[in-house]
Amino acid sequence: MRVTHHWADWIASTALSGWLQNEAWVVPTSQSIHIVSVSVVFCCAVMISLRLLRVSASGRSVSQLVDTLVPWMYRALAALLLTGLVQIVAEPVRQFVAPVFWWKMLMIIGVLALTVCFARAVRRNAARWDTAARPARAKWFALISLGLWVGIIFCGRFIGYTWELYL
Amino acid sequence: MTMPSFLLAAEHTSLAAAMRGELGWEWLFPIVETLHVISLAMVFGSIVMVDLRLVGAASRNSAVSRLSGEVLPYTWSAFICAAITGTLLFVSKAHVYFYNLQFQLKFLCMFLAGVNMAVFHFGAYRHVLDWDERHPPPRAARLAGALSIALWIGVIFFGRWIGFTT
Repeated sequence: MRVTHHWADWIASTALSGWLQNEAWVVPTSQSIHIVSVSVVFCCAVMISLRLLRVSASGRSVSQLVDTLVPWMYRALAALLLTGLVQIVAEPVRQFVAPVFWWKMLMIIGVLALTVCFARAVRRNAARWDTAARPARAKWFALISLGLWVGIIFCGRFIGYTWELYL
Repeated sequence: MTMPSFLLAAEHTSLAAAMRGELGWEWLFPIVETLHVISLAMVFGSIVMVDLRLVGAASRNSAVSRLSGEVLPYTWSAFICAAITGTLLFVSKAHVYFYNLQFQLKFLCMFLAGVNMAVFHFGAYRHVLDWDERHPPPRAARLAGALSIALWIGVIFFGRWIGFTT
């Protein structure tokens, strides 16, 4: 953890970080946009996953859902990355000392890789995913990505509640 | 019962004490708050899906009535979860939240979002089959969708600001 403390101190000493720290509206505004964006990503992920698990049986097919929702997920993910960077630069110590922050980053990498692979597989062979005989790994993708997204939201919210324990 | 005494009574319940961590579960509040975030994410995400369709910006190949039918069950189930978790958060410090400006503005936004939804539902939506697949959707639908997006973003912003002002 020592190395990451050095990074945090270095970021905190930059002029950009100093400016962000002095503007009281920056962090709450960035966090609000972060919540708006995570809502879009999470809702899309839940709808696709529940469709794959056949909890929601009606409505669009898997490939229609993927075609419509995945581009919105990528757009919202771009906003999440941007606002997340603002929060890291504005409050680097708060993020880097909290173990839940690093768990969150790991889970994000995992769910991103999983989602990109899944979306590509569906686009390659849409017909196969739209029938009842879709690949068995569909169920695993749905369960793992749901679990990861819930974990990401938990860790994100818990950064604020735990970071001071690690100072 | 007057409002201040009602708020104090709510704060004196053992539920409120548990939420404040006084019964030994100090992580209860953050956990309930995270469940509130997960619920509101589903509420907002699903409402915006329908709103973006009403504005004409997304899901153009789905009929409005079909999309609403598919998405709104998610919205209402998540809304019930958000209301339950929100009530738990509220009773922990009922009078602090009740007199908090951001909390009041959040509820004003939600009330206006409800009015907007009712006006749309009993107005343009009654003839939805006439414009279900039309592009662009009628002006009343586009207005209702845009207002709804703005008001729900307001709900999230003021909601997040409550945590910085209480």
